Amino acid sequence: MSAPATTPALEVRGLTKHFGGVYAVDGCSFEAPQGIVTGLIGPNGAGKSTAIDLISGFKLPDSGTVLFKGRALEGLPPHLISRLGLIRTFQSPREWPGLTVLENVVMARWDAGREGFLRGVVGLGRAQRDKSEDELARAREILDEFGLVTLRNERAGNLSGGQKRLVEFARIRMAQPQLVILDEPMGGVNPVLGERMALAIEGFIASGTSVIVVEHNLPFIERVTEHVIVMAQGAVIAEGPFEILRSNQDVIDAYLGEMVKQ
Amino acid sequence: MSAYLVSVLSEGAIFGIMALGLNVIWGWSGDFDLAYYGYIAVGAYMTLVLTIGPAVAPAHYILGLTLPYPVAVVVAVITAMAVGLVVGSIALRHLRGIYFSIVTLGAVYVMYVLAGQYVPLFDGYNGLSGLFDPMGDWFGFDYLSYQYFFLGLSLVLFALVFLFMWRISGSRFGMALRTLREDERAAAAFGRDIYRLKLKGYVLGAGLGGFAGALFAAYLSAFNPSAWSPVEVIVLYSAVLVGGRGNIWGVALGVLIMGVLVQESTRFLPMVPGLGQLSTLHPQVLLAMRGVIIGLVLVLFLRFRPQGLLPERRYVDPQPSLYIAPQTA
Repeated sequence: MSAPATTPALEVRGLTKHFGGVYAVDGCSFEAPQGIVTGLIGPNGAGKSTAIDLISGFKLPDSGTVLFKGRALEGLPPHLISRLGLIRTFQSPREWPGLTVLENVVMARWDAGREGFLRGVVGLGRAQRDKSEDELARAREILDEFGLVTLRNERAGNLSGGQKRLVEFARIRMAQPQLVILDEPMGGVNPVLGERMALAIEGFIASGTSVIVVEHNLPFIERVTEHVIVMAQGAVIAEGPFEILRSNQDVIDAYLGEMVKQ
Repeated sequence: MSAYLVSVLSEGAIFGIMALGLNVIWGWSGDFDLAYYGYIAVGAYMTLVLTIGPAVAPAHYILGLTLPYPVAVVVAVITAMAVGLVVGSIALRHLRGIYFSIVTLGAVYVMYVLAGQYVPLFDGYNGLSGLFDPMGDWFGFDYLSYQYFFLGLSLVLFALVFLFMWRISGSRFGMALRTLREDERAAAAFGRDIYRLKLKGYVLGAGLGGFAGALFAAYLSAFNPSAWSPVEVIVLYSAVLVGGRGNIWGVALGVLIMGVLVQESTRFLPMVPGLGQLSTLHPQVLLAMRGVIIGLVLVLFLRFRPQGLLPERRYVDPQPSLYIAPQTA
């Protein structure tokens, strides 16, 4: 199945970043279509993680542009990119360990004007309280969906690695971004949980969140993505549906290698 | 109530405000700020130069106004916040952890050396004095009744600050500060402006420090470099740590234990049988004992109960059966 011909969820043009003499990302260009799951694969050192950092504002690119909703993102700080509706996760789960699971989910939604200092002191209004109640109810609902509702009062730091991944997914559901970039969500996750995460990713799409997923677990990529971008040495070397890529000689040479021959 | 107890409790209330301010910076925002005592000093010095009137030679200091005490307190708080804004905007931009602490340590020593050595500012090492019983003449208190008045004032102000912190603690703002403490990259990924949020918390803390300093100036009626040194902040840290970092009830308890009980207990050491000769050994021995006891308590808490006596409380969601979906086996 090919990507639908709508405006892309994300458009990256000639993104470049070097550290000293090493070009981690070197003229990387791709489009991630709207409304589907796009995979981003490639060998270690291909520049996938750096590309995510550049797109999400955690690192500044040397050159190149990132277009999201028709807006150039490069140079914007991470929080503004997040507020525009592009949220990323990290290779290792980054829960707020001292906060409860429920608090982790509630605080995933940033709300303009409600986090001001004065609101903290005088925010007694009924509207505020109702809003908090709505948020709590929504967070409980999401946790229920992820099978975490019984753990909601537990500190997130006490959860297992896999549960932390689920909390991260629950946070994304709460934040409801237009695009989420998942950085190796399957790292250290068992196959049963993996299936649950695949379903969660389908849930993202259903709720209107486009997905880019970076992953080394190729069966998972095959399972969840419709479109795959292959990076090697900082640039995109191939893209298309996974079935087609697995017979692409460049991709085999750069990454798939042994696995395909089996 | 003995005059001694009145004095100790007044001081305790002021320490309480100091510790609640530090709790914003360290307890919630998570930054180990060593400049904090500097904001207390700025508050105290500013209150004095705004109330005690013009300098009489050979003393030198800036301003030398005779403003009403409450006005001076407001200006002192604003000044402390301004200094906090300058230090915070430098130290919080890119630095975290030990690097942040080192910059704030540098900042507070700049303040200390300026106050102590640059005579035209606050009369150098002599410091400032002469703020006697502020607002006392408004109500016609005599010396003794003023002590009670000041105790009442300190306790009421502490209660107000506590209420204020209680509101902040449960608010989205307070929660957002905690997300920075817990993992600021994740906080940024979910839309928080780390730098601005941390700076807001820092300036709020500095303002509370300045406020406590303004009260401290009235309590001591004087302030000079021998009355404070940057390391005094350790007593405040020990109070926050022992009580429970991030929990305002814990902070209040910690102040009672570390700021009042331990602080004052050394005074009674010579009464312990066998220790009667202690203070005759060396005039500084009791002061040193205070440091030893605080250090010992700190080490013991860090080893055995790092979360403090009253750990930070989390929101516990009640368990209405409504929300619990039937568990499929």
